[in-house]
Parts: sequence; C-alpha cells; structure tokens
Amino acid sequence: MKAYKLKKEYLKEYLKSLEDFGEVWGPIKKGEIDVYEKITDYSLLNLNALRPILPLKKFLIPPKFNTFFYTKDGKYENALKEVKRKIVFGVHPCEIHALLTLDRLYKERYPDYYYLTHRKSTWIIALSCVPDDKCFARSLNTHFVEEGFDLGFTDLEDYYLVWVGSSEGDDLLRHRLDLFDEKITSKDLNRYIEWRKWRDNQYQLNLDLTAMPDIMELSYDLEIWNEIGERCLSCGTCSMICPTCTCFNIADHLGIDDEPGRRERFWDSCMLKIFALVAGGHNFREKRVDRVKLWYTHKLKAFITEFGKPACVGCGRCIANCPVNINVAEITKILKGEEVKK
Amino acid sequence: MDKEKKLKIGFYEFSGCAGDLLTIIHNEDYLLKVWNSAEIISFRLATSKRDEKANLDIAFVEGSITAEEQIEELRKIREKSRILIALGTCASFGGLQSMYSHLGDFSSRFNSIYPHKFTILKPIESKPLESYVKVDYFIPGCPIDFKLFLFNFTRLLRNLPVELPSYPVCIECKWQENNCLLLKKIPCLGPLTRAGCQARCPTHNLPCVGCFGPYEDLNLPSWLKTLQENNIPFKELEKKIRMFFGVKVKEILSKLKNKK
Repeated sequence: MKAYKLKKEYLKEYLKSLEDFGEVWGPIKKGEIDVYEKITDYSLLNLNALRPILPLKKFLIPPKFNTFFYTKDGKYENALKEVKRKIVFGVHPCEIHALLTLDRLYKERYPDYYYLTHRKSTWIIALSCVPDDKCFARSLNTHFVEEGFDLGFTDLEDYYLVWVGSSEGDDLLRHRLDLFDEKITSKDLNRYIEWRKWRDNQYQLNLDLTAMPDIMELSYDLEIWNEIGERCLSCGTCSMICPTCTCFNIADHLGIDDEPGRRERFWDSCMLKIFALVAGGHNFREKRVDRVKLWYTHKLKAFITEFGKPACVGCGRCIANCPVNINVAEITKILKGEEVKK
Repeated sequence: MDKEKKLKIGFYEFSGCAGDLLTIIHNEDYLLKVWNSAEIISFRLATSKRDEKANLDIAFVEGSITAEEQIEELRKIREKSRILIALGTCASFGGLQSMYSHLGDFSSRFNSIYPHKFTILKPIESKPLESYVKVDYFIPGCPIDFKLFLFNFTRLLRNLPVELPSYPVCIECKWQENNCLLLKKIPCLGPLTRAGCQARCPTHNLPCVGCFGPYEDLNLPSWLKTLQENNIPFKELEKKIRMFFGVKVKEILSKLKNKK
C-alpha cells in the first residue's frame, strides 16, 4: 500500500475535484447527529463525525427501493440499471469492517444483484478517528483497517497520510497528484507510530467480548434476560442503525389502471413480532425477550460460528440510539454480572 | 383485468373531518385511475351521481358513529357490501371525538358543550364502526396516507387482503435518518404507533401523536417508565395516548393494570 501526504488546507479542494468521478458524499451535521449526504457545500463536511446515523449499508441496500416493474402482459423490467458513482469520504475503520462483513454475505455467499450494482459504484475514502465514550472498536479489533477502502486518510494534525487501497484509489489520487507529497520521511514514520499508540489509548469503553459465545449459550434460559425483554420497545431502531443488520422484506405494489406494478424491497427487523410468524399462525419468537436474545445471539455468537468473527464492529450506534439503553455494552455487562450504569 | 367485471365500490362518511376521502380526492394524479379501475357507486364528496340501492363489492367508510341515526345508515351499508373497510382513525378507533369518553356520563358532557336543545340528530358517544357492524379491514391514519391507501386499494381490486405496516413509526423514522426524540425525553408516540405515515412528524422534529393508532406489539410499560423516570407525569402521557387511540385505550391500559 503506497502512502502519500496531503496538507490539510488542500482537503476541500481535493474532494471537490473528485466530482469529476462522481458524486462526493460525506458526513454532514443534522441537529445533534450526522448523516451521510451528497456534499454540495464543502464547508458543511463534519470531519469530526463519528457515526452517521445510518451506516454505509444505506448506499448498498437502501432502506426502501424498487427491484423491478411489471406490466399486465407479463413483461418485467429491472428497476435498477445504473447507479451514479458515489465517492464516500469520512468512513471510519469500524464501518469498513462492517462493509467487509456485508461483502461476505452479499458478494460471496449470496451474490445479490442490487448489492453488487451499488457496491461497484460506491468508492470509499476512509478517515481515521478518535473515539468517544461510545466507541469500542478496539475491543473487537476493528479500530484499524487494512483493506476495504480505495483511499485511506490518517489525520496527523497538519497533514493527512493518504494510503492507496485499490487501483480505483490510485486513479483518485493521481487525478490531483499535484496536491500530494510523495516523499515520506522518517519523521513521518515516527509521527505515525506515535499517533497509533496515542489513538489506541483513547478508548474509554473497553469490553472483554472473548467469552461471549459461551456466555450467550450459558445464559440463554436465565432470568436475567427477562428484564431486558421487558425493557425493549420492539421499535426496531437497533436493526435499522446497526451496520451489519441486513434483513429485508418485499412487497408487491400492484399497478392501478395503466400503471405498471412494482416490487419493493425494504429493511426489516427480527425485533418485530411479525418477523418470525409463519404460515399456519405459529410464531417462533412470540415473546419480546426471545427476539432480543436472538439479536444478541446472532451478533455475538452465531456469526462467529459462521464467519469466524462477531457481527458487531464496536461502532456504538446501538449505544447512541436505543431509547431504552439496550446495547452491546449493556448486554455484555449484564450477562457478565458487571456493574451496569443506568 | 379489463375484460373482468369492474368491482362496485362505495365511499361513505360519518362523523369526522372528511380528511380521508379528501386525501383520495386531493391526489388528482390518481383520481381518474381510481375511477377507471372500479365502478364507483357512491362518493358524495366527488359526484352527485349515485345509486343507493346497488349491492357493493367494497364499502370504504370514514368517520366514527356519533348519532343514533348513523347506526342504521351504517347497518344498511354493511348489509349491501361484501367487504366493509374502516377508512381512517375515526372509523377505526373512534377518533379525536372519543378522546374523553372515559370521563363519566356522555349526556352531561354533551350538555355542557351544547346547552341548548339539540334536535338535528340524536347524539351518542363516539364509537368506531366495529362497535356496531363487522369490519373486514382497517386502513387507519389521520388522515390516511394516500400511498398506503393505493397499495391496499389495488390489492382489494384483485381480491387480496389489506396489508398494513406491521411495524412502528420508529422504523420509518430511522429510514428518514432522524435522531430519536425519546432520547431527548420528548414524549414521542413513535414506538406505540403503527407506521404508514413516513414518520412525517418526527421528520419535522415534532413528536409522533399516534394518529395511525396503536402498533399491535407496543410496549407501553417500558415507554411510560422511560419518560416517567424523567419526571413526565403519567397523567400527561395518558392524555397523549387517549388523543388518537380511541376505544383501544381501555384495552391497552387494562394490560398495564394487570401487570401492576
């Protein structure tokens, strides 16, 4: 991976120049939160954003989209033919780990046309971050990333160290090579090493998740889950904002008069009662507590069995967004019998 | 479809603001398509041409029942319709006009507002259609969401059952990338309310008021607890639930009492 340097004062000019490749997206403030948005005014870009409310999955499998149209004479028409290229700036390592997880699901295991089409057109510019009290990526070893981005920016105070992660990234960089400095000195190396050490120690939330698969198994029928089940609002927020939740439902919108029908795909959540309802009226997870258990079992246990690592990347979105404070940190602490702050 | 016989459909209204039928009329791009795809037997807000004797495949009925005379009228519609649909929150749950139905005797409440002799109709406590006749499907909303109406209208034309979002407003709210108002301890009814509105109010930074009626799997104790812990009194929260949940309030609150 070749590295370059970019002076901070050139950042906005450089990003703007990338509009030659496609739309430039990045985190923008919306009230108290951040959202990934198409950037038109580069002064609005929030370089300190930690977790845009909807993660990268919103680009790859949007919350709601048409898959195809159909007409009365039995003809079908694909609804997703071309996607405008998006260059997403400001993506943090934990989110890229989540992206790699989605890739394994929707690129490798179950190649999904819609995912692949969006994925091809979504280029990623990673940006290093300094954690807040909700980040726990270090506990999951997702606080650094070696793949899954086209360009990677590391913030070293007055300049960025820019890593080239793919040939597309190389194209992006060469587009304005004049802004970059190719010469990396031993001073830069030392600064980088120092920065990594410093940044590693900035995590205030550290969870020991190593025994979680066993603990999930052992706790499965225990009373402690009931209080969590009673607290859950079944609002589904956790599944919407989690970067590795990708369940979906489909609905056919029948045409009216001469209008074609369309099949719509939209995000679903295993936290909803209807999710495990099957024909004949049986519901596998009728009780709220069973649904909460399933969510956490899937994230912290089942996924490891299947993919060798948990489905949690430590981004802290569940901590920031659950209205009744049910999240990976809280669950881990409750199950391990550690003190829980409420 | 063209060769098949068009379904006979009627639109009727009882007590309410007519907002649900107006929602259909105000979507001009679709009004003719709605008209072309069925035989409209009655739609007083849209046409004076109507046939009150014909049997109907589907009757869409908006508004709640607030007068004795309306009960008879509703029964007549029921008798001549294969499928009867409660359209909007008034028809489904009783509407705003049933908000205070728990506060003692109806006639004393009525007389305090209308002290003079009232002779047009014989007024009674506001109740949803279901209190008097069998309702096949509900399409709630105050007013209804046109997209949700159209989705179900086209299903009904093909003899498919009505399908409502089986999730709360919060799901659509997250799709709109809003920060949760409950996190700021603002009593938002999102997690208690059925989706279908595209989370319109929270998207404008206003708490959900529950106008689509209750979400079937709502967790009231936890919702109350999280707000009461922040010094919002039960009475205030109860009032918010009563605004749109109509006759469903009793059922929801009784579960709460059983718990305690």
